[in-house]
Amino acid sequence: MRPALTRTLLPLLAAIVVAGRTAAQQTDPRLERLDAATRAAVAALVDSARRALLPTEPLVQRALEGATKRASGEVIATAVRRLAADLGKARDALGSTASPAELNAGAAALRAGASPTILTQLRQARREPLTMPLAVLADLVASGVPVDSAAAAVLALAARARDADLVEFRRAVERDIALGAPPAAATAAAATAADVLVNAGARQQRPGRP
Amino acid sequence: MRPAAAARHVRTASLAAATSLCCLRAPAAQTIGTIDIGVSTVRYDGFLPSSAASLTPTLTWARPGAAVTARGTYLRFESSRRSLQGLVAAALFTPPSLLPHRWRGELSLSAGGSSYAHFASFWHATAEARLHVVAAGRGAWIGGTWGRTSYGSVPRPVAVASVGVWARRSWTTVTASATRSIVGDTAYSDLGSTLHASRGRFEFDGSLAARVSSRGAGHGVYGEASTTLTLAERTALFISGGRYPTDPVSGTVAGRYASAGLRLRTAMPRPYAIRHPQLPSRSPASGDGEPGLTTRLEVQSGLDGTVRLVVYAPIAATVELAGDFTDWQPVSLRRVGEVMWEGALRIPSGVHRVNVRVDGGRWTAPAGTTRVTDEFGSEVGMVAVP
Repeated sequence: MRPALTRTLLPLLAAIVVAGRTAAQQTDPRLERLDAATRAAVAALVDSARRALLPTEPLVQRALEGATKRASGEVIATAVRRLAADLGKARDALGSTASPAELNAGAAALRAGASPTILTQLRQARREPLTMPLAVLADLVASGVPVDSAAAAVLALAARARDADLVEFRRAVERDIALGAPPAAATAAAATAADVLVNAGARQQRPGRP
Repeated sequence: MRPAAAARHVRTASLAAATSLCCLRAPAAQTIGTIDIGVSTVRYDGFLPSSAASLTPTLTWARPGAAVTARGTYLRFESSRRSLQGLVAAALFTPPSLLPHRWRGELSLSAGGSSYAHFASFWHATAEARLHVVAAGRGAWIGGTWGRTSYGSVPRPVAVASVGVWARRSWTTVTASATRSIVGDTAYSDLGSTLHASRGRFEFDGSLAARVSSRGAGHGVYGEASTTLTLAERTALFISGGRYPTDPVSGTVAGRYASAGLRLRTAMPRPYAIRHPQLPSRSPASGDGEPGLTTRLEVQSGLDGTVRLVVYAPIAATVELAGDFTDWQPVSLRRVGEVMWEGALRIPSGVHRVNVRVDGGRWTAPAGTTRVTDEFGSEVGMVAVP
């Protein structure tokens, strides 16, 4: 009985493994927009990322962005390789449980100039998904806010702020910058204002109080 | 003060609230409306216990640095007597550049009125100034309140001095405060603390206070607690109860109560990922002083899970958009106005890269996004979609 079972199961398992590898190695059809050499290079990077359990969609998108902008194959491959490295650093900083969206936002923050330490501190400070705090952090730094100021503000808010609060905070910074405030000062002021506003909700009446 | 006068104050307060909320418009403003429908059992000091049904509509308009709240409460007791309350309160913060770093000023105004059956009525109008000092996760304030209040006779002056501190850790905010209030011949001092915690769909508020000295406003220890459970985007359940002191300023009589009810609210306002709908002369994407008047992108989250993309392009025959949510395939936008083009797409929450082109020209990072240099010799716009 056992040899018969073995004879049946082993080929089946082998077929599943081979089929899985073949499927994994199949080139994403969207990459058909790249020339053959670039497609092969990008597909290899995507496969490598998949084996490292990194999200591959951002890599495909980066390659497609290059194709849309008519970049050379070498430039596209370099961009994809760099993003894969950033995703890896983001995963190291955020932990293996980080979601693809968090890793993508973390990679953007790292590329903008945030340090891996800041990403780790954010992970420790917030239990909810980090996608929006990381997005706001990347956005602030890319807007010209010094990394230290941006990180301090986002870290201060991340523990308790909802995603909508973070977007509102980012909006306040943008408005103050547009009105001429230095980015660092605008960030600190907006974070301060967010604190005060939360605290100053003294007009709230307890529900049901007759 | 006669009941008719109190009713007039209630109407005036309600009208002022409606006028304020209708007339105030700002790009970053949000307006939220709620209606609490509840039942209570209440025992005012010196009265027999009674049950009551309540209806409390509230409208809040807020933008960074300013907020206006208008609230009314209709109570119908088991004796068939009715109580009507109305309040409008506004708070305005000083701009960050006015005071030194970490300091903010706040001016708030409050006006309201109430009437019970046809034999008790109140109104008040007060102004409060606060000076805040704020650090990361904690702060303190000192404030003073001045105004007038009336309980069935000539108006009495109101003067209140307050100091307080607060701290916030993770999901919890605690405050501690001390106030000294003088209302005509009545004077009293309160020491109080509050706790607010919010986690997931639950929100908890508690307070504990003591009236430590009083001339004409009673003594005692008071406490209240309430919990709100959000059921869906527009509905929540609440339960609350406790004992509160007499408030000679707003005309509240001390009592104890327990309530439960349903909160209905307007759809939660979805924040714009990209803000100003106008065409400003500067933005993060044109913060170097370039006039960002070529194109401007505005991203709005829709209630149905789609994201509305609006591009303002002053002179254009066609406008296309490409990003990591379109596989970088150009998507033609639909013209909806003289300079406005739009499209609706499903875009997951997160950081996205996007470019726009007009009349088949080169891909550009539109104003309204954060412009960064891409790896391909041009620029790309970054947007954060909530």
